[in-house]
Amino acid sequence: MIKKITQSLFAVVCLMTFIGIGTASAEKLRVGMECTYAPFNFKNENGDLMGYDVDVARGVAGLIGADLEFVCQKWDGMIPALLANKFDLVVASMSITDKRLEKMDFSDTYRISVGRLVGKKSAGLKLFDSTDKPIPANFADLKVGVERASTYADWFKNELPKANVVLYDTNESLYLDLVNGRTDMIMTNPMKAHLRFLSKEDGAGFEFVSPQIDERKYFGIGVGIGLRKGNDELKARLNKAIKTLTDNGYLESYALKYFPFAIH
Amino acid sequence: MIFDLELILDSIPQMLMGLGLTLQLLFLSLALGTALAIILLLMRISGRWVLAAPAMAYIYIFRGTPILVQIFIIYYGLPQLELVRESILWPILREPFGCAIVALSLNTGAYVSEIFRGGVLGVDRGLKEAASALGLSARQRFIYITAPIAIRLSLPAYSNDVVSLMKSTALASTITLLDMTGIARTIVAETYAPYEVFLSLMVIYLVLTWMIQRSFGWIEKRMSRHVRSEI
Repeated sequence: MIKKITQSLFAVVCLMTFIGIGTASAEKLRVGMECTYAPFNFKNENGDLMGYDVDVARGVAGLIGADLEFVCQKWDGMIPALLANKFDLVVASMSITDKRLEKMDFSDTYRISVGRLVGKKSAGLKLFDSTDKPIPANFADLKVGVERASTYADWFKNELPKANVVLYDTNESLYLDLVNGRTDMIMTNPMKAHLRFLSKEDGAGFEFVSPQIDERKYFGIGVGIGLRKGNDELKARLNKAIKTLTDNGYLESYALKYFPFAIH
Repeated sequence: MIFDLELILDSIPQMLMGLGLTLQLLFLSLALGTALAIILLLMRISGRWVLAAPAMAYIYIFRGTPILVQIFIIYYGLPQLELVRESILWPILREPFGCAIVALSLNTGAYVSEIFRGGVLGVDRGLKEAASALGLSARQRFIYITAPIAIRLSLPAYSNDVVSLMKSTALASTITLLDMTGIARTIVAETYAPYEVFLSLMVIYLVLTWMIQRSFGWIEKRMSRHVRSEI
């Protein structure tokens, strides 16, 4: 009798477990992001999560058939929280660096790290040739503002050592002096330049005067989806999904919601 | 922590490349500031209200606000006005060097004029009375009697101000100038080694201060020859 009950209980437990597995058959991935980093991941006035990172996360999840749960996490605790299994993926505009690669793994990039020059529309600057190589002679007599010790300063030091570079301490003073006419152009992150300057009233007379400059030596690899080490199978699926999103123009359409240009 | 001696030896010559700019800032703004100080002094002791009041207001404003704020107002604030960008002063104010010179001169002028006033007030009343008894005019009294004594009395405080002006030139690094401090900050931003670089920078400034103090010590001694010979 007792044996029978035990058997049937066992059967019930097995069944429940089976059903349990059945309902959770769609994989669940928890995604960490700051939720405050507009326009990449932020909450709109209704409290809904939006942004480029959010779109990428949803696009990837749709392709690999996973359910998403977003976890808001402050930046300085992002990697510890990933390692502590508070979430499975970091889709938070995190750049791939050697230092981070020691602790965690990254998918392929879904956003680039680049620099771009901004100058006056009316100046008619022609600084790059048809193969997007800078023409050093055309930089003569022009002042370029960059942030002190930034990747952009580095690029100028090595690629155009003769350029007249002025070093600034903040991004805002770059725009101020460009408007004031103390510099002829500035080099900075095109997304920042668009959001903080070109889309504003002060930036009306200015535009990008160079192609995107993305030499990996200076600007790094870009932004990828972070995950814990040892998840190579998941990583392969993420990479495949990112490739599909890139090839089918989804990444571009995500970017165009917030910027007038693609950012992958 | 390990002190990176190689970095120090490497960064000192780099920082010394900014010495020329630091000295230009110092001497040019010292000359302009001292000239301004004399004008302000004459306005204050003129005994005419219309001249003394603006001088007092000017001195109050420039001594009463931080020089860093003055630099920012001149560098970032003034170009916001269309008027300034189209004025004949724009070629000067467009350049960070010009802005730094203007700010440092205006600031040091206010301090130095007060130092000079202290010197003028310190001149013994009896000397002036003796001069007028000799029939010297007010102008002659000022040029031949008051001014030389006032200069000697002002020298110790003036040398102090030169040292503090020399230190203020470091603020020019906040408006993109690559003086010694500007170069040091760039090196620090690249190497993440603030101790080594800023400590070396301190040593360079201390040497400069020592040279300024020695020079003024020598001038003071020379100007007080008659006093010592009497003892």
